[in-house]
Amino acid sequence: MHSRCTRRRFLAGAGALAAGTALPVGRLWAADEPTRPRSRVVVARDEALAGGKLDEHRELLEKLLNAAMQKLTGAADAATAWRQLFKPSERIGIKVNTLGLSAQPPVADAIVAGLRLAGVPAEKIVIWDRFDTELEKAGFKLNKSASGVQCRGTDTKRGGNGYQEKIESSGQIGSCFSKIVAEEIDALISVPVLKDHNLAGVTLGMKNFYGAIHNPNKYHDGNCDPYIVDVVAHRFIAKKWRLTVCDGIRGQCQGGPGAKPGFQWPFAGLLLGTDFVATDAVGADILEKQRKEKGLKSLAEDGRPPKHIATACARGFGEADLAKIERLEV
Amino acid sequence: MDNLDNLFASPSRRDVLRWGAACAAACGLARGVRALAQQDAASTAELAGPRLAGVARHPALFWEKLPDNRVKCLLCPRGCEVADVERGYCGVRENQGGAYQTLVYGTLCSANLDPIEKKPLFHYLPGTPAFSIATAGCNLECKFCQNWQISQYRPEQVESIVTEPRKLVDACKARKCPTIAYTYSEPVVFYEYMHDTAALGREHGLGSVMISNGYIQEQPLRQLCRQLTGVKIDFKAFTEKFYQEACAGQLKFVLATLEVLKDVGIWFELVILIVPTLNDSPDEIKQMSEWVVKHLGPDVPMHFTRFHPTYRVTNLPQTPIPTLEQCRLIALDAGVHYVYAGNVPMHPGENTYCHGCKHELIRRIGYEVASNQIRDGKCPKCGTAIPGVWSQEQALAFKPREKPSAPTASQPS
Ligand code: SF4
Repeated sequence: MHSRCTRRRFLAGAGALAAGTALPVGRLWAADEPTRPRSRVVVARDEALAGGKLDEHRELLEKLLNAAMQKLTGAADAATAWRQLFKPSERIGIKVNTLGLSAQPPVADAIVAGLRLAGVPAEKIVIWDRFDTELEKAGFKLNKSASGVQCRGTDTKRGGNGYQEKIESSGQIGSCFSKIVAEEIDALISVPVLKDHNLAGVTLGMKNFYGAIHNPNKYHDGNCDPYIVDVVAHRFIAKKWRLTVCDGIRGQCQGGPGAKPGFQWPFAGLLLGTDFVATDAVGADILEKQRKEKGLKSLAEDGRPPKHIATACARGFGEADLAKIERLEV
Repeated sequence: MDNLDNLFASPSRRDVLRWGAACAAACGLARGVRALAQQDAASTAELAGPRLAGVARHPALFWEKLPDNRVKCLLCPRGCEVADVERGYCGVRENQGGAYQTLVYGTLCSANLDPIEKKPLFHYLPGTPAFSIATAGCNLECKFCQNWQISQYRPEQVESIVTEPRKLVDACKARKCPTIAYTYSEPVVFYEYMHDTAALGREHGLGSVMISNGYIQEQPLRQLCRQLTGVKIDFKAFTEKFYQEACAGQLKFVLATLEVLKDVGIWFELVILIVPTLNDSPDEIKQMSEWVVKHLGPDVPMHFTRFHPTYRVTNLPQTPIPTLEQCRLIALDAGVHYVYAGNVPMHPGENTYCHGCKHELIRRIGYEVASNQIRDGKCPKCGTAIPGVWSQEQALAFKPREKPSAPTASQPS
């Protein structure tokens, strides 16, 4: 995969520094710096997650996520691991992808439990996506009250949500951003699904943030490239994004973003990373391998290579070269 | 009060911004025409009852199935190929399980009684009101869009009221308004509603005018013209570069639309918003005007209108009036009979002059018609026939010249 990751990853790193948190792994060093650690992505799997309803495996899921967080950060215990990335005083947004094959509520709940371990009050956490309706359809329970973990869509008029009135420019895009991401939170966790996308090739941590702008339908040309990177390059995202937790309990290697059971398989795992380019690169690699196993064309042969991953790397947001990514298993 | 009355009675704050801009442009001179923004806008509560929280699904027209539950939209030249649960570029047409749907069937986010001059249509029932409506969405993205807060939004992001065609037609008749105008955003993307309402309107003696960017495929356009009585096209520039860079579109498709309109025989006028440094070169205006004369004929009016900084073009000044005057002269020199300067109230370039004897036929003050001397469609001084639509009977008598085409399952009957 194309790689020209020699520029300092100042945007994401600056966000972490400003917030005063410990440094996210693999996000702040230029590739040519000898002390730079390799970008690290954790693939955490447990075959037990493949069977039955995920609701029945909440405890297992929490354990798996915490173990993955420890592996990712090198912390001795789960609470320390979460505290390395999030402070109790911060407001955290969990951006789930509920379009088509959706991220599952127990995954978001396990993340909430981790944040609570770090001392983040429930009231400072919001689970969000574009629409109330899509959140509900995916099984999330809306909560717009002042107590507990918030859960709501941006497009909802009532309740004071919605998009900023001002158009923000970033690269080639001009969009109004969700007030949730622009105004309400200090840190972001992207929770995509391990799945295929009919235009962008894959829809993982980066593409998930098309759900943060008011006009994603305008940016589908050219495999959504460079628009996906333009969206995540905006300060509302780049400076706040700390962690990707990709829901790979069920993967889907073709026909996305809608749910196509015929192309789904039980990957039974999660992908975690603080380098959002590296996490997407590993996710795309898993999807490509599954496509090969199913006898499908590669994404490039199918006319939809996930170009945005290489573009993000070239623009210094992270590592796209699999050979340079430290891939750890749990 | 019915839903539509509510919409008329109590615009929301966002509506007021939108309508306010439009009315500011009208300079408040439209006597006898109700301008919503000037009403009490303090309360949005009355909108709460019938307000739409989401979308109004309705089967879409003009699309075909693709493998894997995907669809290809055949309504406009973009030809979006849309996967299940996704939307096309315009944001208002969605694939649900392999069936394409419009999400804006009757979801009116703007409604107003405008003077027809505000569209602008200067040769279509001058001095009459047009019941003007819009939904969210557009199939282009012009960086200077004056109505971007509806055209560039998805239906969920604007407050709307669902209004069946019947209700709109009734409301229009109750206000003794001869014309429904589909305008503000881009009516092509609410084609199904426009088509059905225009058809019903005709049955009830109402004309329908489409105020459009002209980004539509030939077959849907020809079918729509069976119901319409007039069209205005925003002819944004005469270079592919401008269309691609400033509008995310292609000029060639708009040219094709203009030639279809000419072929169909419907009354239409052209508006060119002159954006300083981007589309104001005299050469370009000359080439455009010559193309109009050659391909559409000299009787298609051209309106050169004034740009005001907005949306994503805020770093350019408003168009100098001499630039508009120069454009007007270039088009007249090229042989266009009726050329106007727009968005410049009181300017003599807003008046209509007989192309035969130069006699002043219609004097306008802003959107108000101060005097109209046209009699039976003719100049009272020299008897020259003035092109246009001068009576409702003439409007409703329009029948498009048909071109045989193969019907498909997803076409309107
Ligand atoms: S009408 Fe909308 S969905 Fe259809 S081709 Fe045009 S932009 Fe795409």
